[in-house]
Amino acid sequence: MTPPTLHPLAAAYLARLRTASRDLPSPRRDELVAEIEDHLAAVIPPDATDAQVLTELDRLGEPAEIVEAERPEPGWATPAPTLAATAAEPPPRRGAQEWVAIVLLLIGGFAWGVGWFIGALMLWTSRAWTLRDKLIGTLIIPGGLALTWLVLFAPWVISTPRKCGSVDGHETCTGGMSINHTLFVVLLVASFIAPFVTATYLAIRAGRTERAGRTATAAPATN
Amino acid sequence: MVARRETSISQLRRGVLEFCVLALLRDGERYGVELVRTLGEADGLVTTEGTLYPLLGRLRREGLVETTWRESPSGPPRRYYRLTSEGDEALRTFSRDWARFRTSVDGLLETGPTP
Repeated sequence: MTPPTLHPLAAAYLARLRTASRDLPSPRRDELVAEIEDHLAAVIPPDATDAQVLTELDRLGEPAEIVEAERPEPGWATPAPTLAATAAEPPPRRGAQEWVAIVLLLIGGFAWGVGWFIGALMLWTSRAWTLRDKLIGTLIIPGGLALTWLVLFAPWVISTPRKCGSVDGHETCTGGMSINHTLFVVLLVASFIAPFVTATYLAIRAGRTERAGRTATAAPATN
Repeated sequence: MVARRETSISQLRRGVLEFCVLALLRDGERYGVELVRTLGEADGLVTTEGTLYPLLGRLRREGLVETTWRESPSGPPRRYYRLTSEGDEALRTFSRDWARFRTSVDGLLETGPTP
């Protein structure tokens, strides 16, 4: 690998760079080490003194710094939109599993409730959501839209015949809509909207984790 | 506060650095080491030359520059960098934005807000 002409100090530096860069994906790591090696070969004359070599190594900076520069900077947004458009898209964290989970949580309950449970399982096994997201996804609303449907056509709502009779001159009714009508409609609308809100929330949260993950983890090839 | 100022200056520097690379390539291709050396010698722009190689790699992956290997009269083949049409476009856009940005910041730093 290292040509015999390379100064021992420079060779030692390269060895440190190889160690420091071991977490990089291997094609990029090899390329980086080769480039630094070329650089050293180009800037260090064959008869260089130790002092000259050390000066050059100082100019290059610590291997750890160079490896650090491979990682995308937090808060360093790609400056021009043209760059964002041309950048290779990394494999998204919000992948198929997350989308299927969101859809199943929303409408999976219609498949005899089983679909919703599969959705919940996918929700809990995904790494794209935090514990809080998963609790929200599970509890609002268990069963998803199917529950709304169930509530709407629950036997206690429609099947109890309304019986009215006159007792001591006062008209009393039993059965029928047994809870306050307005409250019922409000609850029904809320339970209809809530699953959609949760689904949107989960989709947004999965996208956020994707971005956070991109800056927090070592993913040099992605930017 | 001092640490924070240093962070924002280094972020600013990193943000513009890639366009400095593109600008150096405007007049034609250049040898990678020469490119790094030129940037390293510009006052206050780069603290460590080695960190420019990751930047060059990024620009290449983003398709803003492309490279060719050329035989060297002395030593191993050399990697030369040149702008792609996308890189050229990015540089033009940045140059326009930068001119406005610089004028505004300079104006505020020197005289305060204009009435």
